[in-house]
Amino acid sequence: MNHTNERQNIDQLVREAAETGMSRRQLVQRAAVLGVSASALPLAFGASVGAQDAAVLRFGSSEADILSLDPHIATGTQDRTIVDMIFNGLVRYVPGTSTDFEPDIAAEMPTPVDNDDGTQTWTVILRDDVMVHASEAAGTDAYALTSADVVFSLQKAANPDSSSYSANYEGWSFEAVDDTTVAITLESPLSETLFLPNIANYSGGFIIPQQPFEALGADGFVTNPVGTGPFAFESYTPQNSVVLTANADFYRGAPLLGGVDVRFVPDATSRELGLQSGDLDVIAGLPEAQWVDRMNEQDGYTADVFGVGEVVFLNINTEMEPFDDPAVREAVVKAISREGHIALSGAPVGEAVYSVVPAQLMAGGLTEEEATEAGVNVEQDIEGATQLLSDAGYADGFEIDLVTSEQDGYRRNYEVLAEELRQIGITVNLEVVQHQAMHELIRQDENALTFYIAFRPNANIYLSQFFTTGGGPTNFSKFDVTDLVDQALATTDADEQAQLWRDANIAIQENYAGYGLFLINQVYARSESVDFGHELNAVVNLYPGIDETTTISS
Amino acid sequence: MLRHILRRLLLAIPTLFVVATIIFLLVRVIPGDPARAALGDNATEEAVDQLREELGLNAPLWEQYVTYMGDLLRGDLGTTLITRQPAWEQIEFVLPYTLELTFAALLIALALGIPIGIITAVKQNTPIDYAGRIFSLAGLSLPAFYLGLLLMYFFSARLGWFPAIGGGDFDDIGDNLKRLVLPAVSLGLIEMAYVARMTRSVMLNVLSDDYVRTARAKGLTERIVLMKHAFRAGLVPIVSLIGIFIIGLIGSSVLTEEVFARPGLGKLMVGASKQRDYTLLQAIMVLYAFLIIVINIVVDIIYTVVDPRVRYD
Repeated sequence: MNHTNERQNIDQLVREAAETGMSRRQLVQRAAVLGVSASALPLAFGASVGAQDAAVLRFGSSEADILSLDPHIATGTQDRTIVDMIFNGLVRYVPGTSTDFEPDIAAEMPTPVDNDDGTQTWTVILRDDVMVHASEAAGTDAYALTSADVVFSLQKAANPDSSSYSANYEGWSFEAVDDTTVAITLESPLSETLFLPNIANYSGGFIIPQQPFEALGADGFVTNPVGTGPFAFESYTPQNSVVLTANADFYRGAPLLGGVDVRFVPDATSRELGLQSGDLDVIAGLPEAQWVDRMNEQDGYTADVFGVGEVVFLNINTEMEPFDDPAVREAVVKAISREGHIALSGAPVGEAVYSVVPAQLMAGGLTEEEATEAGVNVEQDIEGATQLLSDAGYADGFEIDLVTSEQDGYRRNYEVLAEELRQIGITVNLEVVQHQAMHELIRQDENALTFYIAFRPNANIYLSQFFTTGGGPTNFSKFDVTDLVDQALATTDADEQAQLWRDANIAIQENYAGYGLFLINQVYARSESVDFGHELNAVVNLYPGIDETTTISS
Repeated sequence: MLRHILRRLLLAIPTLFVVATIIFLLVRVIPGDPARAALGDNATEEAVDQLREELGLNAPLWEQYVTYMGDLLRGDLGTTLITRQPAWEQIEFVLPYTLELTFAALLIALALGIPIGIITAVKQNTPIDYAGRIFSLAGLSLPAFYLGLLLMYFFSARLGWFPAIGGGDFDDIGDNLKRLVLPAVSLGLIEMAYVARMTRSVMLNVLSDDYVRTARAKGLTERIVLMKHAFRAGLVPIVSLIGIFIIGLIGSSVLTEEVFARPGLGKLMVGASKQRDYTLLQAIMVLYAFLIIVINIVVDIIYTVVDPRVRYD
């Protein structure tokens, strides 16, 4: 089909949709009949829905408020949810996935060139139809995004004064070659696996336009974000909501939704009742299989369980007595039942991992077979663990004091651990403190045994943050795999890199310094009238992913 | 009277000063780092240190105290550590929601509690008395958040009569009032139980007084005896407790605000506490102290109206 014919067919589709009020499904079917390509559909959808009153999706967040809507600072789930709808990266994770990339603001996928001086340059060609949202707070009009904005944003992401993710951009420099071309030069070459996440729609990769940011200042931008995404920021009311409106000028087509109203509803039962009463369309759920089953049993609602999961792993301080003795650490690991911890969430919410880096989400983790083959998949063995303790001179056991957060995810894992250790004669005195207090105390080495629950976008970050000296206070185990991490960082061969990360994981578990237990998948529930517009396998921004293709049927 | 009010207001200044100092110290005793809270668990140590420096949290305590008190004297409640907005802007937004909820709940508590208290006193040891006492006992025993969830389940999720969550917009008064009904009933019914029990107890005392017997002996109707003689006298202790009720309602509204996801002062304070937002926490607690002082002064004034014997001068 030639271009003119397809254009005519799109126009016909739009006319029919506007006249008959077709549902999304009907539109897709009709598009197939007319032979309209999938890439042209959002444009047709947007135009057709624009002719009608597009629904506003009401999203119930489990958090009480935002922390920061500057995507280079945003780390809370609620913040990531909101900024993902407002901003774009140069490339993006294919919607619903956590490992595949496709161009976003970039017109095509960038490829690296290795320079004679040992550096590496990635040239990014930008689309010429990306519009920055107009902002009343900033006093800026909508304008076409240029390479100057992209360079400004990447420089901001690389600056520790203005970014929480600056460490990911060390040794990077940026140049606007012309209005639509950006050259990114790296002092040390990186593999695609490590480069692309840093220019994708995640953390420092989100592109912040220069004009509104400079007009608002860093503090003003925290509550008045301005981006290029399918939804533009409209208002923020503390502890209540953030309202986004559809960006009709969005370059992949106007969103099918009229906007998104993110409401802060920390109480889980209230969120559920809010969904049932029709006040909310999508809610953050509880990370429990029982909750998922209960929601799915109700007519009109669906619970979605998807990645990316946050890994629950145990760190054992290798310098603190008596855990400086490898036999004692081995006894602790042998006392643990992975299944017992997974049962806290239940399948499919809880999913086993066999190393700190989750193999099912990224390269560099150990599968069950790999962990077993390497001898680091330890089965619970209470008798063996007791014997190990006895041989190490602790036949009568000992007592340890641990602190835990009041948050269920942490507290319940510590409680299970306390019971497991009790069986081998170790008495755990568990003190429950507020979540923030726990984070401060564990960074002061208050705990010899520290659970951490986290998602990181690649193996390098997991390993360098928690198991290298560069990790600082978050190297809870004091165990160091810096050499392997550095070697992996230095190679651009993806297979070699993954093997080095796997070796690091094996070293961590062989020395009983850390132990990967399971990951907790994301759990959300929605009215069945909501269609996110993509399959939900994994979303790095820890929510289902709401974009220009998301719809609510009447 | 005017001199009394002025004296009370002047006394409020050192009271607020002491309260502000205690609050300043207390919020810093709680373990936890506002910079870590602002940046989240995933932030690097460098980023957290950088923010601590920016927020002035690395400055000596006395320096932070001098800055805080200086700002407070100028009427500046500071900038929130997390969202970098003026603290007063956040308080100004949520305060009307808390006041609206408090007074609606108080109205429900008084409108139901006083008649129930009077009726159960008059009908002492009858089935009506037992029913009223069981009703108020149930109110006392039921946690506000649980009652709130029950109301949401029946009237929002099942019947669809009222919205389940949110505070609504003051520009849309209809929507705002619809969103107020369930939280106000949830909070008001609990407080109603206190009012009913207290009214019953006061009325039982008053009804056995000599002047009530005299009024009856004069041949006055029971209605006049009750409302003009007994209730008027019984009103004095009730009024004196209204101030405490209001303060209690403002304090206990936090759970209701949380359950109904309504903006409010209590919810803001809990959020600030969790995020270790010292500035916001201090601002809210100073405001609470100020409100308590003002409410007490207002109650003193109302006291003189309902009891002519009271003269502050």
